[in-house]
Amino acid sequence: MTRVVAYGLLATASLALEVTWLAVFRPWGAVIDPLLVLVVSAGLLRGPEVGAAAGAAAGWMQDVATGVPLGLGMLGNLCAGFGAGLGEGRIYLEDAWLPGIAAFALTVVRNAVWIGAGHLVGLVDAPVAEALRVTLLSACYNGCIAIPMFQWLRRLDGRLERLSDRPR
Amino acid sequence: MLFFTLLRHRRLIVFLTLGIVALAVLTAQVRTPERRRIGWAGAAVELAVAPAAAVLSRLSGSVAGAWSLLTEIGTLRTENARLRAEVGRLREENARLRPAAQENARLRALLGFKEQQPYQTAAGRVIGRDPSDWFSTVLVDRGTFGGVRRNDPVVTSDGLVGHVIEAGPTWSRVLLLPDPRSAVGVLVVRSREAGVVEGLGQPLLRVKYLARDADVQPGDEVVTSGLGQIYPPSLVVGSVVQVARAAGDMFEEATVRPSADLTHLEEVLVIIRGGESVAR
Repeated sequence: MTRVVAYGLLATASLALEVTWLAVFRPWGAVIDPLLVLVVSAGLLRGPEVGAAAGAAAGWMQDVATGVPLGLGMLGNLCAGFGAGLGEGRIYLEDAWLPGIAAFALTVVRNAVWIGAGHLVGLVDAPVAEALRVTLLSACYNGCIAIPMFQWLRRLDGRLERLSDRPR
Repeated sequence: MLFFTLLRHRRLIVFLTLGIVALAVLTAQVRTPERRRIGWAGAAVELAVAPAAAVLSRLSGSVAGAWSLLTEIGTLRTENARLRAEVGRLREENARLRPAAQENARLRALLGFKEQQPYQTAAGRVIGRDPSDWFSTVLVDRGTFGGVRRNDPVVTSDGLVGHVIEAGPTWSRVLLLPDPRSAVGVLVVRSREAGVVEGLGQPLLRVKYLARDADVQPGDEVVTSGLGQIYPPSLVVGSVVQVARAAGDMFEEATVRPSADLTHLEEVLVIIRGGESVAR
């Protein structure tokens, strides 16, 4: 329960940041998405079920807070969280770079699902070159912020686990 | 037996179930923002995010001011100490006063526009934006406590901005004209030709369903027609920049540039239309 509350607060703070500063500060037109890094971290640390659930919940929160059609971010982040979860136990978490590479790859997956689903329902008509440019840039940004963010979240997750294991 | 099979494929079942839920939510309201219902859980999310966004939004002005001051001090380091102090002081004062002067001008324009309007209005400040590239909504710090309701039109002194698609107690979400879900009935002022302005997810808008022989020219002003119940008539939408007449098409299409600066919205007016029978 403590972990859910902590991650919920982190997700809310990330969302507030995304709809304010990060909506204006978009280097070369691409978005930095700390919420997605949070989802990827949850998947890497806790496995595919938790990754998928965290992705769906965070994506839905993102849809609500940003005003895009409900379900679009939910679907994209669900795939990213599930994908990250499949790496649990396979990715050497002590390596500083691997979470960054995972965040890069899963941002590409998330954006591909997001744009693909948006295109299928007839709302997103993005030129392929522009979609690719924005996706790769976002993936680079997310990969960069994932390197310190993942290590920090991992320490936080460990502390929360110790807190919940403590005998009452 | 079935239980063990399910247990073995648990991760796939969780993924597929959540995927189906996401698809169901998406297809239920994707083309009709009027059917978008976020429920109590979504309202709780907005309730948590809106105050944090409001604080960050106000902080961003101070941070930008402090940042520009720091960079200016860096460039002045080589100059004479007295001049540096003087220039620093003047620039700081200027940086502090310029946004206030710009805000003053915007608010004066908004106030003048508000006094001209026959409708009751509520002024709001933009506290959050949609960061995605292909949808356009903003979060405004005025909600049902201020009289704002779903489907209320939103304007600036320059023209129409969009309409409210969600309203919480202290916030509301505005669907902007360039959003692909937006559609507004319009008239070309000069020739009174009717059409529908739709968003393209880009800065320019498209007027569809103009009669094939419609008299529309670049520069023509486009206003709301008042049909469709959400928007009152004669609100300025924008001006025509291009007209497309393809051989064999049943309708003519035009490209319109919105009058309001939708990429730099800071203050807006919500037209409160309490007495009207629009679904809310």
